[in-house]
Amino acid sequence: MLDLVYILVTLAFFGLMLAYVVGCERLGRDGSGEEQRP
Amino acid sequence: MTLNGWLQILVYAALLLAVTVPLGAYMVRVYDGRMRWLAPVETAIYRVCGIDPAEDQHWTRYAGGLLLFSAVSMLVTYVVLRLQGHLPLNPFHRVAVTDHQAFETAASFTTNTNWQSYPGESVMSYLSQMTQLAFHNFTSAASGMAAAVALARGIARRSGGRIGNFWTDLVRGTLYILLPLSFVLALLLVQQGVIQNFAHYVVATTVEGAKQVLAMGPVASQIAIKQLGTNGGGFFNANSAHPFENPTAITNFLEMFALLMIPAALVYTFGRMVNNRRHAWALWAAMFVMFAGGVATAYWAEARGNPIQAARGVDVVAHGGNPGGNMEGKEVRFGIANSVLWATATTDASNGSVNSMHDSFTPLGGMVPLVNIQLGELIFGGVGSGLYGMIMMAVLTVFIAGLMVGRTPEYLGKKVQSREVRMVMLYVLIFPAVILLFSAVSALLPAGLKGLNNAGPHGLSEILYAFTSTTGNNGSAFAGLTGSTYYYNTLLGLATLLGRFAMMVPMLALAGFFAERKTVPASAGTFPVTTPLFVVLLVGVILIVGALTFFPALSLGPIVEHLLMGAGRLF
Repeated sequence: MLDLVYILVTLAFFGLMLAYVVGCERLGRDGSGEEQRP
Repeated sequence: MTLNGWLQILVYAALLLAVTVPLGAYMVRVYDGRMRWLAPVETAIYRVCGIDPAEDQHWTRYAGGLLLFSAVSMLVTYVVLRLQGHLPLNPFHRVAVTDHQAFETAASFTTNTNWQSYPGESVMSYLSQMTQLAFHNFTSAASGMAAAVALARGIARRSGGRIGNFWTDLVRGTLYILLPLSFVLALLLVQQGVIQNFAHYVVATTVEGAKQVLAMGPVASQIAIKQLGTNGGGFFNANSAHPFENPTAITNFLEMFALLMIPAALVYTFGRMVNNRRHAWALWAAMFVMFAGGVATAYWAEARGNPIQAARGVDVVAHGGNPGGNMEGKEVRFGIANSVLWATATTDASNGSVNSMHDSFTPLGGMVPLVNIQLGELIFGGVGSGLYGMIMMAVLTVFIAGLMVGRTPEYLGKKVQSREVRMVMLYVLIFPAVILLFSAVSALLPAGLKGLNNAGPHGLSEILYAFTSTTGNNGSAFAGLTGSTYYYNTLLGLATLLGRFAMMVPMLALAGFFAERKTVPASAGTFPVTTPLFVVLLVGVILIVGALTFFPALSLGPIVEHLLMGAGRLF
């Protein structure tokens, strides 16, 4: 039973990290400075 | 402290310097694809795995690949550890690793931490050791190196956020750097007496007539990569204090040297990749200053010994055959100098292997390993992670210098603006947040206090060390904490994951952001990053950031313990 919990925790963690990548990318677009503006 | 001890430390430092340029130059050739002596194997791996080696990945794709690889390999390890009782290469019928221990072990080895809350020789089957733990020893190290190289590429070029190919970096780092070096080191270790076999455990009769079971196994191959990859997880519970892992003075030196040689050389690799070797030497110098400071402090504290013992007539002065000082928890074979050198090197790096028990160090001697990890393991550091940690601090340093003079800071020709600083601050803040929060919660909950073997400030040091070591992906233990419980296995496992990936993502983002920027030529307002002033400022920033975040916790642990020792109280 706890095996499932640990596997789900692992999947949730890495899912969260992928969302974190997207978040950092957005944060970068918001604060990119003049150089990156079209 | 003895002249002999200092000479050995000096030889170690000189050899570290000597290996930096040749190995660093070799790694440049590996990562830019010019090293092709294993091309057929490399090409076959790409073909089987469907990798396009020509693909230049955006940082988000690079990070995604790293996370995907880590997630899948961690889950496979978890399953194998749980099923090892039904799998081959299990001559001693090891049963399944418990669920919480399997989770922490899988997380720990995936993240290059290798914290072990179990005795390897009596819990793991040969299959688990060889196909899972050793696999992660290679790939977690290669992932760290890949990430550092990606950051170097981001700084070196303008490519719209593209920082290389994670899969080729992973394969090349493993194939051309870690495997050959491990092969050579394993042979040297075997020559010196480290065991490498599949033999049955030996039952020996001791001098006193008692029976003792001596564990056997494929040790040398695991020890070689455990040191070279700054992994640290030993085959035996006693790690490199065990005579089968570390039988002679030569193996002791080789193993200590192996754990810092790649991190030291990677700094030169970075200098070559960004075309600024003088900056690389400035980083190297900053690392060395802090390394030397740590060794000298720990050596002084341990050679001085415990004043309470001295007051009771114990001879703590080194002379003749008496090593003097604090020999509790240290191998007589290695003495104080080699014990503190190992303890310092293993915590400067994210290694975590030990040849003495850090829990038995004097309060200040034990504080050195703790502080080394808390500074971010960037004193040469883990393979890859040490370099990118130091680069993050260098960016923070030029940012602070830029604030002082009121100019937009630049790092190696790349402007450092708000988004870059955000990523650096995420990197800097996540580390202490995880350590201090998890330690504080554990110091309050009965489940956290249950695992302690010592009370008072030493008990707090044990908790603090456990979360510092796991979040820092070090893996060394203070040895006074029983970590094989649901509470600690789960929380420490999560700490290893956060300490690795929650810090790696903003670092890769920074690499991508730098790769989007054009390189601006240095001007009169550019803060030079090749001078002794930069080295001093960089070391100052690292120490101040470390001191500000961890000093209160250290005050309640090792510092108060040291003061109470002076008043005659021990814990």
